[in-house]
Amino acid sequence: MKLDPSFIWTAFLQLWSAVPTTLLITLVSVSVGFVIGVITALARIYRIPVLSQLSSGYVTFIRGTPMLTHLLLIYFGLPMLVDGLSAQFDLGWNSAKIPMIGFAYISFSITAGAYLSEVVRSGLLAVDRGQMEAAWSIGMTTPQALRRIVFPQALAASLPNLSNSVIGMLHGSTLAFTVSVVDLNAKAQIVASTNWKFFESYVAAALIFWGLTILIERFTGLIERRIRVYSKGGVA
Amino acid sequence: MIKLSGIHKSFGRHEVLKGIDLTVNKGEVVAILGPSGSGKTTLLRCINYLEKPNDGEIRIGDFALNAKHAGKKDIYSLRQRSAMVFQQYNLFSHKTALENVIEGLIVVKKIGKEEARKRGIELLEKVGLGAKLDAYPSQLSGGQQQRVGIARALALEPEVILFDEPTSALDPELVGEVLAVIRRIAKEGITMIIVTHEMGFAQDVANHVVFMDGGVVVEEGPPAELFGNPQEERTKQFLKRFSTEPSYSI
Repeated sequence: MKLDPSFIWTAFLQLWSAVPTTLLITLVSVSVGFVIGVITALARIYRIPVLSQLSSGYVTFIRGTPMLTHLLLIYFGLPMLVDGLSAQFDLGWNSAKIPMIGFAYISFSITAGAYLSEVVRSGLLAVDRGQMEAAWSIGMTTPQALRRIVFPQALAASLPNLSNSVIGMLHGSTLAFTVSVVDLNAKAQIVASTNWKFFESYVAAALIFWGLTILIERFTGLIERRIRVYSKGGVA
Repeated sequence: MIKLSGIHKSFGRHEVLKGIDLTVNKGEVVAILGPSGSGKTTLLRCINYLEKPNDGEIRIGDFALNAKHAGKKDIYSLRQRSAMVFQQYNLFSHKTALENVIEGLIVVKKIGKEEARKRGIELLEKVGLGAKLDAYPSQLSGGQQQRVGIARALALEPEVILFDEPTSALDPELVGEVLAVIRRIAKEGITMIIVTHEMGFAQDVANHVVFMDGGVVVEEGPPAELFGNPQEERTKQFLKRFSTEPSYSI
């Protein structure tokens, strides 16, 4: 078998149709995961009873198990739960109605939430307590202080980790093919096996992933430059 | 008028404030002196409810709060009547000098942005930083940051401004500019409570001096009396260290 460089371009064009799926899985899992991350991080930092223990348990379990395992657990467990509930309460639900990509959304959001919980927590802890006190001292309520003073600084502090997590989820989204979602990687496999050009197809997929990753890095860099305007000078 | 009655505060089993009573009249400048660990900073933080007292009553103007049953609303009300100037400045590091000053006006007092800006610029000019409106805290010296901190406190027109060792974190040569600003606003009749180690400044600016040690007020009175003729042994001991030449040289 010989290398066919021109097929890399052919595959590249064919793979584009799967890019939206990959991006959507990444976007949904990171967005939902971020919300979960913020809630669980706050629960743990402010030691909210019950919620804080639940959050800690969630984070340690999810970070202690592989992302593929989460997907398989959701894929096999969720239908049992849905059908069970449906039968119990006569809801007329049917697990077969859940689209395949739904399993990916749910399980990857759960995965991302645990990792982002740590990212958000480290960001919040990086903000000096004096910032919160200053906000209180000028009469702000705790939610106002969190929203206007603490969160923007925490976000800035956690940006490098955040960008890492987004890249991780982008690459992790390839696991969705196990539940027959046609993401970028799955598409490459299809293109490869129908044309018998495996290496070329995967090279094309790798190039697209690399390109997307560079975009994320550039975007992060752009925000970082804006942040550096106030963080430069070191001692704040 | 500010009136503190029976303020108690413990950290764990360590009782930091053992029942403090203090009255500050409107327009008065009160300096609180005392050795480290005497509870003076904790007392100041209790007035702003950055520390929650275990017991006692805090009255600022017509608003009174009892530490035994203070709800969230009471705490926010109390905080809106006072403002704090911190030892470490605690400026909002992601906001410019002007944004720092007007943040409270916009968020808490709900004043329109344009009007708030105008007021903010006035205040920054007053503390001598009219040229630094758009500078971020990290671009300012410690003395400049602290002056922004003072402008931020002034912006809210609180009934009392609390200064927590406002010059302790500054380089010696920057202390003067901050003290000059405080002295200037003291003359305007703003009620102030200042925790400080600057004896000369306290003597000069304060109308009333309070000496604390071990969580109680040991002695209080006009500066001339407290510095010139202290009654308590502990006060004499403390002041001696500042009035006599050190017996060593570095």
